[in-house]
Amino acid sequence: MERQIINKKKRVFSVEPNKIPPSEVFTRKYTRLLVPALKKLNMNKNSSQANQLTVKHEVDMALALSAQEFAWSRFLLQKLSSSNNPTTTTSSSSNGIRIQKRSGKEGGDEDGEIEEKLRELQKLLPGGEEMNVEEMLGEIGNYIKCLELQTIALKSIVEDTT
Amino acid sequence: MLESLVSLESMSLSSMDVSVLERLKWLQQQQQQVLSTTNASPELLQFHGTNNDELLQNTFSHFQMLRSGFGPNYSMGFGPSHEAMDGCISRTNSCQMDQADTVGVMLKNSEENITISLKNKRKSEVKTREEEKTEKKIKVEAETELNMKVKSNLSNTEASSETSKQKSKAASENQKLDYIHVRARRGQATDRHSLAERARREKISKKMKYLQDLVPGCNKVTGRAGMLDEIINYVQSLQRQVEFLSMKLAVLNPELELAMEDLSVKQFQAYFTNLPVVVASKPSLMVDAPLFPLDQQGSLDLSVINPNQATTIEAPSASWETQSQSLYNTSSLGFQY
Repeated sequence: MERQIINKKKRVFSVEPNKIPPSEVFTRKYTRLLVPALKKLNMNKNSSQANQLTVKHEVDMALALSAQEFAWSRFLLQKLSSSNNPTTTTSSSSNGIRIQKRSGKEGGDEDGEIEEKLRELQKLLPGGEEMNVEEMLGEIGNYIKCLELQTIALKSIVEDTT
Repeated sequence: MLESLVSLESMSLSSMDVSVLERLKWLQQQQQQVLSTTNASPELLQFHGTNNDELLQNTFSHFQMLRSGFGPNYSMGFGPSHEAMDGCISRTNSCQMDQADTVGVMLKNSEENITISLKNKRKSEVKTREEEKTEKKIKVEAETELNMKVKSNLSNTEASSETSKQKSKAASENQKLDYIHVRARRGQATDRHSLAERARREKISKKMKYLQDLVPGCNKVTGRAGMLDEIINYVQSLQRQVEFLSMKLAVLNPELELAMEDLSVKQFQAYFTNLPVVVASKPSLMVDAPLFPLDQQGSLDLSVINPNQATTIEAPSASWETQSQSLYNTSSLGFQY
């Protein structure tokens, strides 16, 4: 019992954390997660039916798992695990660019427009609706970064196989 | 007792050209005076300790350049000592230090004190000090009055929160503080709500600025609404890209085993220089046109990379580090939130 306590106290903190840049960390994690998952998928399902959804699921899962230091990844994981039918993060993409309704609220309600846009932005971010605006703006920044890195990784994977 | 000290301090402020040494001497004189009149109980020591702090802090308002010189190493437990008596006694002890050190320490601690004041419900003098430390654009009168009236703990917290929000933005250069300090300009309302609003707005605008750097093409648009539009479009397009790529991957999945044994890092080389890169190689599969300008260079790089698959990994890895360095430097910012 005492030993356990002693062991718990002996945590090692690195004085200088790894100097690997975070984007590299993310990309590495991402590819390391995604590629084996895809291979497994490939092996299990030999039929070519509706693989898209599962692939998307794996893609999203890999994204969430390789960015666990951010709040939105938690929400994304929740979404993914709660429903086996993968809820795509691009659900709003089919709507295209929503034209902001200007029902007579012009000049004086510029803030209202901005509020609407912020709300829409919140919808794009997984878990964005549960955060407040400030937090959301910060999270959007790294969500964008992770999405960019994800596209790079996916592209290279695709390129590898063609 | 408190009031008298406040008046003393305000007096000291009025003479801007008094040197530090003179002030320190004066300070010591004050100390001795007070000491002689009262018993040297631990409470008084604490009191003198704080007094010392505040008066010194006063003098250092004129030495703002010293602030930058002293790093965040001077914690010395000054903060929590405001409540603990042993801490205060240690503080007075440490005041015997070299004068220059004391200056730096006090400077640093003054800022720490300001932040800790929020937590520790500081007495009103400190608040007055902090206010007067800021540039004279702040409506000191309103605050001073307010602080003078404040005696209870509750109102202390309110006033201190006000004051901390009114700090000049020089304090924002301080590395260790978490608080975003708002400067109240002349003629602006200084009541609690507007200050909180202002602090909030400044935070939000800071984040918007950061997002502006992140999203390409945001610089051309002015105004929050336009920027937000751009950001929304960008995020949507990124998500669409991911979806499209995963669709492609699903199609290509059976061939995945071919060259995927070790995903060579050099594959990432070309992409890092072309953010955002558009998949231009298979236009037939494109769902919809990309919203940002197509970078033709990207497709060229793709074609260059493929024939090199057979080459060894070691050679490009060094260049990969250097090439991707710029990308990493910029993108590392994204992970500091």
